[in-house]
Amino acid sequence: MRRRVVVTSVGVVSSLGARFQEIGERLADGAPRFTFTGEEGLWAAPVEDFDLKAYTGRFKDGRYLNRGAQFAVASAVMAMERSGLSEKERADTGLFCGSGPNLDVGEEFSNIQGGEISEAGLSALWMLRFLPNTAASAISRLTGIHGENYTCGSACAASLTALGEGFRKVRDGYLDTALAGGGDSRINRGGLLAYGMARALHRSEGDPSGVYAPFDAKRQGFLPGEGGAFLLLEELEHAKRRGAEIYAEILGFGSSLDGYNMTAPDPSGTWAEKAVRLALDEAFMLPSEVDAVSAHGTGTLLNDQMEAALFGRVFGGHRPAIFSLKAWLGHLASACGAVELAVTLAALTQGVLPANPHLKAPLDPTLDFVVSGRGAEGISTLLFENFGFGGQNSALVVRRWRGGDTSTP
Amino acid sequence: MTVFEKIQATLADILDVETASIGAETYLFRDLEVESIDLLELAVSLSSEFNIDVNDDEVFLKTLRVYISEPGDQVTDTRAYLMEKYPYLTSTRVDEILADQEDGPVLKVKDIVDYVNWRSV
Repeated sequence: MRRRVVVTSVGVVSSLGARFQEIGERLADGAPRFTFTGEEGLWAAPVEDFDLKAYTGRFKDGRYLNRGAQFAVASAVMAMERSGLSEKERADTGLFCGSGPNLDVGEEFSNIQGGEISEAGLSALWMLRFLPNTAASAISRLTGIHGENYTCGSACAASLTALGEGFRKVRDGYLDTALAGGGDSRINRGGLLAYGMARALHRSEGDPSGVYAPFDAKRQGFLPGEGGAFLLLEELEHAKRRGAEIYAEILGFGSSLDGYNMTAPDPSGTWAEKAVRLALDEAFMLPSEVDAVSAHGTGTLLNDQMEAALFGRVFGGHRPAIFSLKAWLGHLASACGAVELAVTLAALTQGVLPANPHLKAPLDPTLDFVVSGRGAEGISTLLFENFGFGGQNSALVVRRWRGGDTSTP
Repeated sequence: MTVFEKIQATLADILDVETASIGAETYLFRDLEVESIDLLELAVSLSSEFNIDVNDDEVFLKTLRVYISEPGDQVTDTRAYLMEKYPYLTSTRVDEILADQEDGPVLKVKDIVDYVNWRSV
C-alpha cells in the first residue's frame, strides 16, 4: 500500500504573525499592510520586532545566521517544539531546507574600499552568513534532527521544492518524519538594490497597502516580504500511532525547468504547466478536483500573465478559487512556498480563504479570483505554485485533513 | 575598561552568556564549554580589540599537553620548559597548571588577560 504523508506540526514566523489564530484573524478581518523601507519608492512587509532568541533561548551560533536563516531557524525550532516527537524520533527526522543568497552585502561588509575588504567588524567565520546550509546546521543542533537532509537553492521555488522532496522521502519510505521549509529576507539595501535594478519591484511614492494586487491589469512589480516556515511531514500511520494532530495531507509534487531565461518565465508557461500537471498526476487527481489555488502571483507583469494563462489551460471550464498570499505577505523569495502553505493552513483553520482585496481589473475575468472575504467551506484540495528566477517551477497538491480517512484516494 | 573587563565582555558576546558568569578564575573549557570555533572568534576579537598579533597556539595553550607529555629528550625541567614556551605565564601559574592536569583543559580567563598584557607591552 502506498504510504501517505501528512502535516503534523507547523512553525511559522510571518509579517501576519506567528500563531495560527493571529494569522487567520488578520486575513479574515484585517487589511494588507506594507511599510516604507527607507529606500526611495520602495515598500515591504517586514516581520516587526523579530528576535531569534525568543525562539532559541541563548544560542551563541545565532551570530552566524543571516536574517533569512534566522527566520528559518526560528520557525523550525517552533515546529519541532510543537511536534511532540521523542528524542529518538527527532534524531531519525530528515531536514529539507529551502535557502536563498544573503544579499545584505552593504551591512555585512561595511568597510570595502577599492576592492579591499577590511577585517574590522567581521567575525572569524563570517562566511557562514553566506553559506546556504548554515540554517540546517543550526536547526540540527537546536532540535536534535540527524536524518537524511539537503539544502535546496532553486530560487523562489526553493522551499516548495524542499517540501516536495521531503514529502517523497517520507512517502517512499526513506524517512517516517521530515521537517521541510525555509526562511528568507531580502528586505535590506543589497536585496532592494538587486531587485530594483532587475526592475522587479513595485515602486510608489505613496503607501501601496491599498493598491498592490497580483493579477491586476495595473500591477507593476512585487513588494518584498520576509519570514520563515517549517512543516513536519509524517507518514500517516506513524502519526496516528502517536496520536499526532493532523493538519493536512500532501498528495503530489511536480517540478521542472524552463530553459528559457535567467529571470523571466517562459511566457508560454509550457514548463510551469508541466510542473503543475506532474503534481496532479502524482496526486492521482484531475484539475477538476482542485478546489483552490495558492498562486505564485507576484504582481510582476510577466509572472502573472504567464500564470493566469496557465490557469485557463489547466482548468478549462472548472473554476477553482484562486488567491495570492503575496497580496498580504509580499514576496518571501526562497521562503515563499513554505510560508504560503503555513499561512494558508492557518487561514483554513480559521475558516477563511485569503483574499486579494485590491484586485480591480483581473487579467482574466473568467477566473475565480478571491477578491473579498470568503469562507473556506467546501475547500478540500489545494494546489500550490511557486516559480523562480532561472525558470524554476514547482507545484504541490495538498488536501485539508478533516479528521479521518474519508478522503482516501 | 580594564583588559579583563574587555575580555569578559568579548567572551560574553561570543558565547551568549551573562558577563557576571565570567571571572578571572573561570575555566574556558570546563566552565564555559568553549568550542574550537569560539576560540577562532576570540582570537580575531583580541587581535582587533587590542591591536595585537595573536598566536592561537600560545594564547590558548593548545600544545600544552604535548609539551608536558612529550617534552623531548633534551628537556629535563618541564616547569622551566613551559615558562619558556609561555613567557607570559608566571611561575606560580605554571605550578598551578602542572598540579591541575586531571580534570581537563586548564585554560582560564586570567591566562588570556596575561597574554594580552604581555603582547601589548
